[in-house]
Amino acid sequence: MDIFNFASLQPLTGAFWPYLVVIVIGFLPTEIWRTLGVFLGKGLNEDSEIFQWVRMIAAGLVTAVVAKLLLSPNGALATLPLWGRLAAIVIGVGVMLFFKRSILLGLFAGEVAIIMIGALT
Amino acid sequence: MSSETTSSNENAGGDVSVDPSPQKSFRQLVLRGARDAISLPSITICLSLVGVGGLARDIGYPMMAAVLSSALMWAGPAQVLLFGSVAAGAAFSAIAIAILFSSLRFLPMTISIVPLLNNPKRPLWQLLLAAHLVSITNWVEGMKRLPNMPSEERFAYFCGFGTMVLLAGTISSGVGYFLIGAFPPSLAAALLFTTPLFFSLNIIAAIRVWPDLLPVVFAIILTPIATWLVGKDYDLVAAGLVGGTAAYVIERQYRKRRLKSLGREPSV
Repeated sequence: MDIFNFASLQPLTGAFWPYLVVIVIGFLPTEIWRTLGVFLGKGLNEDSEIFQWVRMIAAGLVTAVVAKLLLSPNGALATLPLWGRLAAIVIGVGVMLFFKRSILLGLFAGEVAIIMIGALT
Repeated sequence: MSSETTSSNENAGGDVSVDPSPQKSFRQLVLRGARDAISLPSITICLSLVGVGGLARDIGYPMMAAVLSSALMWAGPAQVLLFGSVAAGAAFSAIAIAILFSSLRFLPMTISIVPLLNNPKRPLWQLLLAAHLVSITNWVEGMKRLPNMPSEERFAYFCGFGTMVLLAGTISSGVGYFLIGAFPPSLAAALLFTTPLFFSLNIIAAIRVWPDLLPVVFAIILTPIATWLVGKDYDLVAAGLVGGTAAYVIERQYRKRRLKSLGREPSV
């Protein structure tokens, strides 16, 4: 459902084309949600029921993004097996929880694990 | 809460008792936020956005296009989607729609952080600028740090913190443009792994009461089911909406029951 052919602007814009792609195809579809969020969140009370509901949905969406990055990754990460990716997450989270929720140690352990799994597989 | 955050909060508490003037200036708060961000949040955002530069170079875009994508889009997964899809030759309208759906999370994220920043009432343009800083890192850190702060200090602190993380990510995607070809494949995989690993650690470290665990567990279970049921374009939205709403319903029951048991006391 193209109202006009965006790609046809490429020869007209020349060197500016990549920036136009980033702004129109990348920036606008992301920023629209943040802008809408300000208008909808402005009148909300921190203690309201809607605030609690939206907060839970945000946590769910953030987790879903992470789950998808792990389950169907792209690029070099896709060359590692699924069990390897999940095992490295479990190791990282386990180390973090063991050492009083130290994100630094968890991150280090998870990265070491994924490098070793990459070397072994 | 991480030990690192706890210690910085204690420091902040110490400052208050030593400082004779109760009101901190806007500049002081911005600088404190920026200083707190120069540690894990900035380092990990550098590691996760360094790959974006390489993706932009792969399709023959200039370095500044990678930098601009970080500064304007400020959404790692969507930036990967943009440059990856252009590389694959996808139609621009299809890419825009995919980015629109994958970025829907910014709506509930912004709605839930704005009430923390809007007290005392701020002009619209200030809220819009602060909302631009919302990313997974800044949102998780903001939701963790802001509720413990005096409400009039939150806006300046979040602006300082968020801008520092955004600057670090933007610079690293420019550096990555020149650097990424030099990485061996195993290190490239480890770099790509930084994003899901750091987010997982942050999400789990931020859980303090068991209802907070609910949306996380539900979304983990529902995401693969949603991919299978509704396809890869709408799975994130479906898993997040259904999982989050189910978590809210259970959490509300728990809250009501607790209020009821508290209600027997005369003070409530």
